[in-house]
Order: sequence, then C-alpha cells, then structure tokens
Amino acid sequence: MSPVLTVFVFGLITAAATGLGALPFALLRGMSARAIAFANAIAGGLMLGASFGIVAEGTEYGAWQTLAGGLLGVVFILITQRWLGDPDAAIASAATADTRRMSLIVIVMTVHSFAEGVAVGVAFGGGPTLALAITLAIAVHNVPEGLAISAVLRPRGATVLACAGWSIFSSLPQPIMAVPAFLFVDAFRAALPYGLGFAAGAMVFMVLEELLPEAYDRASRAPVAVVVSLTLVGMMLFQQML
Amino acid sequence: MDLTLVVLLFASLSAATAVFGAGPFAFGQRLPLSRIGLANAVASGMMLGAAYGLLVAGFARSVTAVAGGAVLGILFVAWTHAASGTEDLDLNRLEGGSEAYGYQVLLVNSLHSASEGVAIGGAMAVSETFGIFMALAIAVHNVPEATVLCAILTGRGVRVASAAGLAVAANVSQVLLAVVAYAIVQAAPGILPWALGFAMGALVQLVMSELLPESYRQAGPRSIALATVVAMGIVVLLQSVAA
Repeated sequence: MSPVLTVFVFGLITAAATGLGALPFALLRGMSARAIAFANAIAGGLMLGASFGIVAEGTEYGAWQTLAGGLLGVVFILITQRWLGDPDAAIASAATADTRRMSLIVIVMTVHSFAEGVAVGVAFGGGPTLALAITLAIAVHNVPEGLAISAVLRPRGATVLACAGWSIFSSLPQPIMAVPAFLFVDAFRAALPYGLGFAAGAMVFMVLEELLPEAYDRASRAPVAVVVSLTLVGMMLFQQML
Repeated sequence: MDLTLVVLLFASLSAATAVFGAGPFAFGQRLPLSRIGLANAVASGMMLGAAYGLLVAGFARSVTAVAGGAVLGILFVAWTHAASGTEDLDLNRLEGGSEAYGYQVLLVNSLHSASEGVAIGGAMAVSETFGIFMALAIAVHNVPEATVLCAILTGRGVRVASAAGLAVAANVSQVLLAVVAYAIVQAAPGILPWALGFAMGALVQLVMSELLPESYRQAGPRSIALATVVAMGIVVLLQSVAA
C-alpha cells in the first residue's frame, strides 16, 4: 500500500472511532433541563481539556503563532454565530436556540479536526514506523470528542445514530488534511501552530459563551462546576496516558 | 535571596494589591455591575491560564500524581463551599442583606486565597520565574476580587479605608499557605506534583463554581467569554515565552 493511501485509511479509521462517543448516550432519553445542564458540563470539560492539550502542542511549534491562531478561532465563532442567527432573536423559540447550538458544536468540532488532521500528517512525516501508534492514539482521542458532540446533540432530541453520524462527520477533515500534511510536511509544520491555536480558541470560546452559561441556568452551579472540573482533569489524564 | 523569602515577598505583594480594588470607591464612585462582571471574567481567564501552566509543569513530573492532586483540589473547594454554606452565595447583593452575608463573603474570599497560596508556593518550587509569574497573575486577579468585596462592604456602610483593609486581610491565608506549601515541597519534593495538581484543580473549581457563574449574571455571555478567552490566551502566551 502506498504511504499516501496508508495515511488516508488510518485517518478514516480514526474518524470512525469518533462515532463510538455516541454510545453512552443511547441510555439518555429525556430532554430535561438538568440533563442538558450536565451534558453541557461534560462537553465543556472535555473541550477545555482537549484545548489545553492542543495549546501545549501548539506552543511547542510557536507560542505567538498559537495565540494568533486562537484569536482567529474566536473571530471565526463570532462570524459563524452571526451567520447562524442572532442569539437574542433565538431566545424567542427554544427549538431555534437548540438547532443553533447543535449546528455550532458540529461546526466547531469539524473545524478543530482540520488542525488535528494536519497534526497527524506532520507526525507521520516524522517517521512512518510510528504510524500505527499515532493512529491508535488519535482514534482513542476521538472517542471523547464524539462524546462532546453527542452530549450537545442527544439531549436536544437527536437520535443516537444521528449523534454517531455527526461525530464521524466532524472527524472527516482528519484524513482529508492528514494526506497533504504528510506530503508537504515542511509547509504544513509552519501552519500547524496557527491551526492548533485556532482550534483551541474556537473550542474554549464556544464553551464559555454557549455551553457554560446554559448549564448554570439550568442546574445549580456547584454540581455543574464539579462535573466541568473533573471532566477537564479526566480528559487531560486520558490524553496523557496514551 | 533565599527562595522562601521570595515566596513571602511576592505572596505578600500579591495579597496587598487588594488595596487597589478599593480605588474606585475612594473617589466615591459606584461601579456598574457589568464592569465588575468583566473584571471577574478577566480574573477567570487568568486563573484558567495559570491552571494550564500548573498542569503542564506538573505533567512533566508525574501525570498520575497531578491528576490525583487535581481531584483533591476540586473536592476541597467544593467541600469548603458546601461546608461554609457559600456554594450558592450570590455576590451581587451590593446593598441590603444581613450582616451574616458580609461575613460569608469575607469567608469565601479567605477560602479562595488559600488555594491561590498553594499555587504560588508550588509554582515557586518549579522555578523562581514561574513562581513570580504566578504571584503576579494572582495579584492582578486580586484587584477585581477586592473590588467586588469593597462594593459589598461599602454598600453596608463600612468606611472605604476599612473595606480596603478587610480586602487585604482576607488574603492573609494566601501568604501563609504560599510559604507553607513551598516549605513542604522543599522538604518532600515527591509532593510537588500533588501540590501542583491540587492548586490546578482548586483554581479551576473556583473559576467554574464562583467566578464564571457570577460574571454571567453581571454581564452578557458574549463579553464575558471574550474577556475570559483573551485573558487566558495572554497568560498562556506569557508562560510559554517565559518557560
């Protein structure tokens, strides 16, 4: 198998692993306010933990570039929000607000996969012997990302299958980006800190602006805070142990 | 200079910056709530950035110990909030309310400062630069914290000078714990990753259970998120450049 095909196939496998994140939500039915609050808290903790890991990786390539990328990520979310509709207008209908938030999480996580795909490709360029280990690591990393997406989609009425589908969709940029990054490592390595910063900025901003305020609105803040903090630490631990 | 003295010096400096929080009231001004919310958001961002630094420094030593320490830090803050009856304390009641409310707010501030002290002491044990950086970050964070406290106290008829003094006094636990934490990790270096993890978990839990939910009530989610993410980014950048 040609190395390009290998990178692509491995990328596809890692994308499929994201779908596994939907499984725990097969048990969750209701759309109760508390379910949304705690699912938001879990998604928020996972995304903050993932961002910490991404930032740590990005600053190894360049701290300033990572920050610049992060600010671009924030601007990107602001523009996307405008495109999806004014949040204040969306208050008029809970269903509209839900749709808006569901679209936003899928967009944010998909965009973040672009940066991750580049990171995979650049890592492959470093040494093909590591390929399998890296693929496995990324695939396992993707499961909590699917969990974060499903945590936002499922309590708002999406089926488990739809959660899995959107989770996999959000990871498709990984194989698509991994191949060119693998082929043109040097060019992509320069762009990597910007991309990683962008992903982190977009995720942190989405957590702070959309997920956490809603969580605090719908459940008392002490348990919400404990869930966010513990999930964040759990995600960091999970990333480090691999 | 002996590093223990450096810890004492910078932790004291950080505690003393609370005086500046009384600044707006010295000129007889009333702060709009949204301004306080933004100050809280900046403080949240700085704390999250500091937590990131503690985590990276700790993971370089022991991943499991940091995670264990972080869980302890989270549970410690959650437990002290619950035990002191302050877990749902609304810090926005600037006027009226009972005398007990004033004491509760002071108590909350003292509890905050204790975790911040561990962060300073632990960071100083990693490197002097990191320790001073942490003390300065917490010093900046202490200003808006003191502003909120002074707003509550002056709203209850406490003189501005006394309010400023109380705001500094609420930070004494920070100085004490910074020195104690530093001394302990010097005596038993194996504890360092636990201390870093503890400080990290405590800071994150403080942000999530106190600062952020408060600030969302004081200003809109968009401006809060922007202020937090920018402050966090700058702190992370400064740490990466200094390291």
